[in-house]
Amino acid sequence: MKKVLNDETGKRVHPYVPELCEQLRKGDLDRREFLRTATLLGVSTAAAYSMAGKILGEPVTKRAVAAETPKMGGTLRWGMQVQEMTDPSKFDWVEKSNVARGIVEYLCRTGSDNITRPYLAEGWEASDDLKTWTFKLRQGVKWSNGDDFGADDVVANFKRWLDPKTGSSNIGLFAAMVEEVDTGKKDDKGNPVMGKRMTEGAFDKVNAHTVKLHLNSPVLSMPENLYNYPTAIVHRNFDADGADLTKNPIGTGPFELVENKVGERAVLRKKQGYWGDEVYLDEIQYIDLGEDRAAWLAAIASKQVDGIYQFDVNQLDMADRLPGTVVHTAVTAQTAIARMQMDKEPFTDIRVRQAVQACMDHQKLLDLAYRGKGAPGEDHHVAPIHPEYFKLPMQKQDHAKAKKLLADAGHPNGITLKIDVGSTSGKWELDAMQAFKEQCAPGGINLELNVMPSSQYWEIWDKTPFGFTSWTHRPLGVMVLNLGYRSGVPWNESHYNNPAFDKALDEASAILDVNERRKKMEQVESILQNDAVALQPLWRAVFTATNDKVKGYQMHPTLYHQFQKVWMA
Amino acid sequence: MLIFVVRRFGTMVLTMVVVSLLLFLLLEINVASVAIKVLGPYSSEEQRQIWLEANGYLEPFYIRYFTWLGNFVVGDFGESIRFKVPVGEVLWPRLGNTGILGLATMIVVVPLALCLGVLAGMKEGSGLDRTISVGSIITTSIPEFASAVLLSAVFVFYLDLLPGTSSMAGGFSLNQLILPVMVLVLYDFGYVTRMTRASMSEVMMTHYIRTAVLKGLPYKTVILRHALRNALIAPFTVIMLQINWLLSGVIVVEFFYAYKGFGALLLEASLNQDIFLIEACAMVAVFVAVATQTIADVGYTYLNPRIRFA
Repeated sequence: MKKVLNDETGKRVHPYVPELCEQLRKGDLDRREFLRTATLLGVSTAAAYSMAGKILGEPVTKRAVAAETPKMGGTLRWGMQVQEMTDPSKFDWVEKSNVARGIVEYLCRTGSDNITRPYLAEGWEASDDLKTWTFKLRQGVKWSNGDDFGADDVVANFKRWLDPKTGSSNIGLFAAMVEEVDTGKKDDKGNPVMGKRMTEGAFDKVNAHTVKLHLNSPVLSMPENLYNYPTAIVHRNFDADGADLTKNPIGTGPFELVENKVGERAVLRKKQGYWGDEVYLDEIQYIDLGEDRAAWLAAIASKQVDGIYQFDVNQLDMADRLPGTVVHTAVTAQTAIARMQMDKEPFTDIRVRQAVQACMDHQKLLDLAYRGKGAPGEDHHVAPIHPEYFKLPMQKQDHAKAKKLLADAGHPNGITLKIDVGSTSGKWELDAMQAFKEQCAPGGINLELNVMPSSQYWEIWDKTPFGFTSWTHRPLGVMVLNLGYRSGVPWNESHYNNPAFDKALDEASAILDVNERRKKMEQVESILQNDAVALQPLWRAVFTATNDKVKGYQMHPTLYHQFQKVWMA
Repeated sequence: MLIFVVRRFGTMVLTMVVVSLLLFLLLEINVASVAIKVLGPYSSEEQRQIWLEANGYLEPFYIRYFTWLGNFVVGDFGESIRFKVPVGEVLWPRLGNTGILGLATMIVVVPLALCLGVLAGMKEGSGLDRTISVGSIITTSIPEFASAVLLSAVFVFYLDLLPGTSSMAGGFSLNQLILPVMVLVLYDFGYVTRMTRASMSEVMMTHYIRTAVLKGLPYKTVILRHALRNALIAPFTVIMLQINWLLSGVIVVEFFYAYKGFGALLLEASLNQDIFLIEACAMVAVFVAVATQTIADVGYTYLNPRIRFA
């Protein structure tokens, strides 16, 4: 008979939780990973902290925070690009979501400590096989137009996301709720064109405040996926109201939109009657300081803004020296990848891709382009800070191997390749590629850099055969692999298509036990690394600065703004 | 004189028409790419066709051009792709901002440069002339991106006296105008000074000045009454040319100080391939260029009788 566990309040506890406790006791799991997994499985954050405290013999109460009483009121001015903000499910810049984040909210919220907590959902439960997820929604939450928030809203959002016509990247994120269907059309070669659509019965509304999701394959990271930035929950009538958040800013969040002038500024004002804890700030102003990051630091130096979106690693010394300014650093899984489309010449030949890969000295690129602040990349897009990271043997630069691979591929005299560099996450991208160009030369590869402005790069990022694309941090390795490397998903910019990889990734995504999952990740990582579609010089730390009047701010590794607890001294 | 003005005006209109045709050819000859830019790279072929038809893009080229030109003349520039509002709503305020920046620069540059130029040109080769000439050559040869960094380092980071950016997010602020104007003045005054000096020294060599001095007129009267009148004709044209430069040449300064002006808008429009905005910006820039040129020509003719009757 299956044992049913209940916690003190009588709520059912996932059967894997005792196993987790055991692993923590034995030291197989660290405290952070324990808290993360336990909360994901539906244990409340307080209970998880308490369990960890009991097991590790630490006091339950966290260490005393400096006794500063938050002050109500005040305006936070933040320097960040202000962009159009039409449809949250189609956001492709974190900046857009940061303005929207004050207005619309998510089902779950991953904190800057990488732990995911309830938000619009007050709790969730996963079935033992991780294929059925039940989300209990918070009651008493009201939309700014007076409507009650409930299961209908969540269902409407899932429908939008999983409809290919919407064009949301969420369709890749929730691949386990989507099926491939024959569209009835044929391509030029006479092969049927496959399309995607939501699986029949992928979710159902249990009652006004409960939604059940039914997945085709087990997924561990559902709560974390539901804080990925294009998954903000909009009102159920969003499409009927014109599908434009700027014109019709209905939300459940603590702020209301006062103005959003693209390229100039966006203003959010505190809303009365917010369902959660009252926020301290009266107003948040996002001020567009253009694209020049030197101007951003100048703005904070002269106290024109209280915080900036981020600054570059090469500005670190200057930022450190600014009086009255606090520098925040977050270790992240942010990166950029030199990815080659495996269906475009000459990258159809794996030997060409591997030759380029053999030329890369990852540690050197980290030192040269990012002052060693971060970690060397390993060409499989799983970061050392991801819980399931499996350490593969270090890759070595090998020019002789590169030359041989090129000769075998029919380029005995070397090859000229052109890479598009948009420097979308800063100048370091260009530095890294300039250094990489030098590393390529001895291997017989003449790497030409096509330098372009960042906004222009986003027009071609998924079309160019060879481009250097920045990727933001995601809390789990499997999340980014599902988004960017699974066959056929919209953000699969390398057009990577390997059934063996998809299968291994499916299996890894289904394993709850992080140690077991890590074992599976060896295969996932190796396949991706050997296929050499995405060369990854480094993992980078990110930096931002606030002036010392800003209190309660913690930098999020994905640069998401969580200003609920921020106050102005 | 009237015939001259009319002729100049006609040339101006003709130039604008030619430029508009070139612009239209460059940006709108390929209708498919227009649709992609407007609807985004993820739009479907079907959506693009519908859009092209609805917006008259399937008409012959010359009809499209004249419709476009007609709309342009009445101020309908289309809708900006990036800002999602009619182009005029973005363009005019930005143009106004650059106007403020340009005006402030001119208010400093014109008196400063004329004074220094006249002082230097009065006695060619004197110590004062050498000092002013060398000084103005040095400031003019420092590019704006270098002087902007230098001035920011001193006034923002070291002395903490001035705001580092000029986005004017909280409304107009004179304080925020100082640094951009300083950079522009530093770059520009040297050139106008040198021009004034050349013109002044040329006048000072003429016989009628020598005569005026020899017949015993006070030096002050010689300079103010006789020399200046003729010496200031050339700088007038140079100053008119600076207006044009101030409109489209301020991109660097506006970018560096995040000033929301016309130059920054032009840059933003180009980077984002916002074609209707690019068209409007380009036409405005061309208009200002030919208009200032025409005013300069007409003014020069008025001031200088030798040209008027030639």
